[in-house]
Amino acid sequence: MTTDDYTLEELMVVEASRHVSDWDTVMVGTGLPMVASLFALKNHAPNMCYVVETGGIAPQIVGTPSSVTDARVMHRAVRHGSLLDALGGVLQRGLADVAFLGGAQIDRFANVNSTVIGDYDSPKVRFPGSGGANDLASHAKKILIITRHEKRRFPERCDFITSPGYVDGPDGRRKAGLPSAYPEIVVITDLVVMAVDRATGCLRIERLMPGVTVEQVRNSTGFDLPAAAAAGTVEPPTEAEVRLLREEVDPGGEYLKAPE
Amino acid sequence: MNRKSSNKVMSAAEAVERFVHDGATVGMGGQSIGRCAMALTHEIVRQGIGDLTLVGCNLSMSMDLLVGAGLARRTECGTGNLERFGTAFRWRRAIEAGTLEVEDYSHLAMASRFLAGALGLPFMPSKSLLGTDILHKQMEGGSDSFRVIDNPWNPDEPVVLLPACRPDVSIVHAQKADELGNVVIEGFTTQEPEMVRASSSVIVSCEELISSEEIRRYPDRTTVPYIFVDAVVVQPWGSYPTSTYGCYEHDAEHLRRYQVCARSGGEAYESYLREMIHERPDFDSHLDGAIGEPRRRELEESMRRLM
Repeated sequence: MTTDDYTLEELMVVEASRHVSDWDTVMVGTGLPMVASLFALKNHAPNMCYVVETGGIAPQIVGTPSSVTDARVMHRAVRHGSLLDALGGVLQRGLADVAFLGGAQIDRFANVNSTVIGDYDSPKVRFPGSGGANDLASHAKKILIITRHEKRRFPERCDFITSPGYVDGPDGRRKAGLPSAYPEIVVITDLVVMAVDRATGCLRIERLMPGVTVEQVRNSTGFDLPAAAAAGTVEPPTEAEVRLLREEVDPGGEYLKAPE
Repeated sequence: MNRKSSNKVMSAAEAVERFVHDGATVGMGGQSIGRCAMALTHEIVRQGIGDLTLVGCNLSMSMDLLVGAGLARRTECGTGNLERFGTAFRWRRAIEAGTLEVEDYSHLAMASRFLAGALGLPFMPSKSLLGTDILHKQMEGGSDSFRVIDNPWNPDEPVVLLPACRPDVSIVHAQKADELGNVVIEGFTTQEPEMVRASSSVIVSCEELISSEEIRRYPDRTTVPYIFVDAVVVQPWGSYPTSTYGCYEHDAEHLRRYQVCARSGGEAYESYLREMIHERPDFDSHLDGAIGEPRRRELEESMRRLM
């Protein structure tokens, strides 16, 4: 039974988790992606293998970790290792089915910027940089991005491409030499679910959040955004899903604010 | 000094004076809010050793302190931040002000550069960075640190070549070491196994000095053997306020306090450096001022519950 008692953030998390399947190897950091992955693990993907960039393999995460070095994200792992183990030996090796990332800007080809606003050599704003994000975007078979929907976050072209989407067109990744040449890329925002259309290499509307119109999404996006012919509505969560999220996945409300 | 000599235990002051020099490339141990070499970093700040190039995968509070103290010329890394505690603000402001050179990589790209150094190779191939401005804008901007070649066995397939990174000295905090410099890192090991092996000199601070007999009893636990290590500094709480896995959790209160000072800069930041480092003869004295016994027990207990 679906319910009306949920926040948009909770729906974003539940929707993101729907892109994670049982038995997937999933590379995640902290924040909302972690909440979405833990929700998937507890809801429909009990055999999912969680891999942390710091080298933890299949941890049984407790509480709400604030860092990939937090002991909470390393709890009862089958192995602790190094960055090279996780990002080289699992990810570049081609074993990551799903990876989550975030960023300050996402453009029409789903390229992501987490480095600078303005010119690289004299930036207006400097962000932390790639971290493992470039590696995740380069090598994972499916890339999930959860972000708030604001016009400045969705420019025509990123000021700086930190992590590759489809680069500049449908064959952009293959031409660039990226091993994961045609990955599924899904962007989940508080307004819409977008995915790269493999025919064009560009993002398009797949599903709208309940009550949101195509016009509303386009007004908040800095590039022309087509809609899939069969663009529908994101399915609301069930009562059981909301309960699981609030009571077991993020009971302290560290990442998900309780509804007002 | 001979790396095969018998006893490498010395004070942080002596180790830093002997092995960290102006203009050095310094490999930074730890990541984010975990196991940063804070005691050794404080000592570098106290001795005012400058013009440094700081290298690592994620560079965090230890890097930010050296930048904030005006001792860094350049960074080469994948990220500058403390994750949920925010960006590395002195680093960010220095880049925005144009007073710090930066070269950007991904975490895997930096780890690969250290691996090349550790294996005695000139470079490492990578399939990261392709199709991005980390590669193209930095190459257009005159950086000679990236090359793209065709896979010799598959001529239409581009491969990135990354030059080996060989720090002059690495500073690392570990759970355990013996007096010879055999090092045991528990939990996550970041890029340190490769970075240490690639470095000309290595200083390790440790929570606990263990016997060589214990090392020889469990040799599979040795992360880095003594032939790579030059100095051992016994410093409990040596990664504070970042965590040491198995020993104590990060101190969120102190990290937030640092971030407030780092974000505002100016006098707030100068007074942090003064009170926490310059007015303190050593790291124990800093700890006495920064964290009382009850709080230490709390952070130890909090880590114990997660084991």
